[in-house]
Amino acid sequence: MAWNKVAVVGAGLIKMGELFDQSYEDMAAGAFNAAVASVDKGFDPKGVEAAFVATQRGTLWGQEGIGGNTVPTAIGLAGIPCTRIENACPSGSDAFRVGAMAVASGVHDLVLVIGVEKMRDKSTEEGLLSRAAAGHPIYTRGETAPVLFAPFATRHMHEFGTTREMLASVAVKNHHNGALDPYAHFQEEITIEQALAAPAVCSPLHLFDCCPQTDGAAAVLLAPAERAHEFTDRPVFVAGFGVATDHPYLHEKTSFVGLQATVDASQRAYAMAGVGPADIDMAEVHDCFTITEILDIEDLGFVEKGKGGVASLDGETALTGRIPVNTSGGLLAKGHPIGATGIAQITECWWQLREDAGERQVALRNGFALQHNVGGRGSGVSVVNILTRNA
Amino acid sequence: MGGHAYLHGVGAAAPGWRVPAADIGAAWGRTGGRGTVAVCTPDEDPLTLAAAAAIDALDAAGLEAGDVDGLWWGCTRPPFAEGPSHAVLAAALSLSPRAAGALTSGSAHAGMEALLGAADAVVAGSVRTALVVVSDGLRPGLGTPLEARTGAGAAALVLSAETGPAALTVRVTRSRPQLDRYRGDGEVDTRDLYDARLFREEMFLPSVLEVAEHLAALDPRAWSLPDPDGRLGKTVARQVGAEVLPSADVYTALGDTAAAAPLLGAVGALDAAGIVAVVGTGGGRTTGVVLAVDAPVPGATIAAHRLADEGRPASYAELLRARGQLTPSGETIPMGVPPESALFARGAEEMVQLLGGRCADCGTINTPPSIHPTCIACGGSKLEPVHVARHGVVHTFVVNQTMPAPFVAPLPIAVVDLDDGARVMLQVVGDGTGLEIGAEVDLVLRRYAHERGVPVYGYKSKLRAVTPAGGDA
Repeated sequence: MAWNKVAVVGAGLIKMGELFDQSYEDMAAGAFNAAVASVDKGFDPKGVEAAFVATQRGTLWGQEGIGGNTVPTAIGLAGIPCTRIENACPSGSDAFRVGAMAVASGVHDLVLVIGVEKMRDKSTEEGLLSRAAAGHPIYTRGETAPVLFAPFATRHMHEFGTTREMLASVAVKNHHNGALDPYAHFQEEITIEQALAAPAVCSPLHLFDCCPQTDGAAAVLLAPAERAHEFTDRPVFVAGFGVATDHPYLHEKTSFVGLQATVDASQRAYAMAGVGPADIDMAEVHDCFTITEILDIEDLGFVEKGKGGVASLDGETALTGRIPVNTSGGLLAKGHPIGATGIAQITECWWQLREDAGERQVALRNGFALQHNVGGRGSGVSVVNILTRNA
Repeated sequence: MGGHAYLHGVGAAAPGWRVPAADIGAAWGRTGGRGTVAVCTPDEDPLTLAAAAAIDALDAAGLEAGDVDGLWWGCTRPPFAEGPSHAVLAAALSLSPRAAGALTSGSAHAGMEALLGAADAVVAGSVRTALVVVSDGLRPGLGTPLEARTGAGAAALVLSAETGPAALTVRVTRSRPQLDRYRGDGEVDTRDLYDARLFREEMFLPSVLEVAEHLAALDPRAWSLPDPDGRLGKTVARQVGAEVLPSADVYTALGDTAAAAPLLGAVGALDAAGIVAVVGTGGGRTTGVVLAVDAPVPGATIAAHRLADEGRPASYAELLRARGQLTPSGETIPMGVPPESALFARGAEEMVQLLGGRCADCGTINTPPSIHPTCIACGGSKLEPVHVARHGVVHTFVVNQTMPAPFVAPLPIAVVDLDDGARVMLQVVGDGTGLEIGAEVDLVLRRYAHERGVPVYGYKSKLRAVTPAGGDA
């Protein structure tokens, strides 16, 4: 039986991109207003009892030392309880989980979970360096973000014969989906030839194997399941969630063909929701790099270990495929404003489960959608949330 | 009293890049220039070269780090102008924290001073086994005649009072209070002070000839002679009747390696019996020593091979960038963890000694110890510090092509399974050419960064190549 104690009654986001003209606060207000406007039967913003804010890079990106407390003022709710959640790339999805637990506990009824991230207020080089120089002075020296995932591509290719073309097929699919998503950072199709010919970023990953640096914000409104119908006749329920950690440094990994945190988080979420991978109609998964999506679909149980590349090339994860993945365009096309990413993925799942996704709409068979992030220095944390339209 | 200091092993190291001397002169509108100069890659410096040569010398002598109780290091310009140069090198070699010795510096004579200091200590009995390391990689002034001559390299000797295949039997030193090659306090580049003719006639020849003629009386089989301008070495050789001059080949291949030059020039002659005369000069002092070789000194062949390695051809622009003489405009972006932070203080020893924590319960080696109070495999809390193995096999890797300064792209990084079962992820020396899963690598000390004025050292993987001698390069 699905957990289903908490409902998502509203969800929204702003158009992702290089939002040089918008402040952190502008973006937060935009996402909050979009979520409020999405509530079918209307929602009084003053009804929000508490907020959980996901911002991952605040200490580096101009939000030094202020926790989550600029957000209530920015959205006109100064005074409410507000807590910032920072848990690497899954910050947004973990804030969602924490918000759901706050509602389920009975402490708060109406909770805002909002992810906001300013990635472009500092230069590209500073963004790269903040990563390359963080952590242990030697053991992590030079580890920009692609260095955390490219070794898995090298090894996956070595063990399973995965090819660059298979990696590129993930990018082609997600850019195709992004072209159908008005909120995506990139809304243009790419060809497999373009992807293969693009310059190397961190071999074996090339330009289109990597997600961009994106500013963005997304927000959801949570309510107790029993109150959901005050706000909508088409609520989406939190069926289950799981979080798992793994050793934080890459040299501590025993396997470079999978991410154990994803496996563990998804198994906990599946058990809580009472479903398995075959019950999932669509998934928004962490595709910071093409190889990451290939690892994800294996580790989440959608395809057999080692077959992720072939399945992607064969279209199994396309909008019309057996298990549509990253219908929003994913991190690769929609963008990866880190703290906002998980909430934006949940927004896409919410649209899909309510059959509001327009040209991107997938066929629903079982009424379950899965959202996933993995991250941290060496993919040391993963969060999986499972949503359902089944009451 | 009595007795000699004996040589038990020798090692040498040359940096990774070679720049044709003619290219350097050509940049300033001059023609000519013979041979190449050896240049430190951005992650090498006199300390990493010293460590490489010292490890070879210890291996050749069949000794462990723990057998050495004194380290003498001669280096004109050690990496920390004021700071722990000697202590960092000693730690990188895993010497006992009780090791004696000294750092000599300030002129190209520093190498001979290190050799004599070590010899005195072993003869006096205050040190049983001394390691002598000489290394340099100067930064010459742009456009100076010196620039097209300045190279880099290192040599190392293991000395003790126990009889060995070669002995240091004669020593002569002469001092004259005169300037020669010069760098004042606050200056960053080394320069020639005098007119070339004035230097030759009034400074160099009088001192060097006096010492060399003293050694010539012993009729040496081979010579190592200083050659600051590409001609003076041969001039001295003619005057003293030196026919076998292995140092000339080293100067042609590596350039002037300053404090390292006298011993580097002698390394090739230590593989056969006979008298080898070595002369070093600088800072107003000139010293000559005689190395009486009875039998080939262990390591001499591999050392000669190291010096014969042609390295990678590099451009003048690469040289300038590596030496910090060509820098991008604008402020450099500060990095995340400054070297003055407590994090660096905690990690200082484990980084240069390459330490791991071995779990007493399951044997797993956890690296680095400072972030592993608990075993990653079994959760055990009894972890004992160990030196991790320095050889392993690549499990997986990347080559990062997008690294902003101060990093240099392409930057290869590999996950390596070491012989003792430890797994590490470290940068790889070079541009990634030849890097593949299953490749064998050695871990070598490199300078990871030079940040806010502080050199930061740690280990990198280096693809293993097999030497003709059958040893491992």
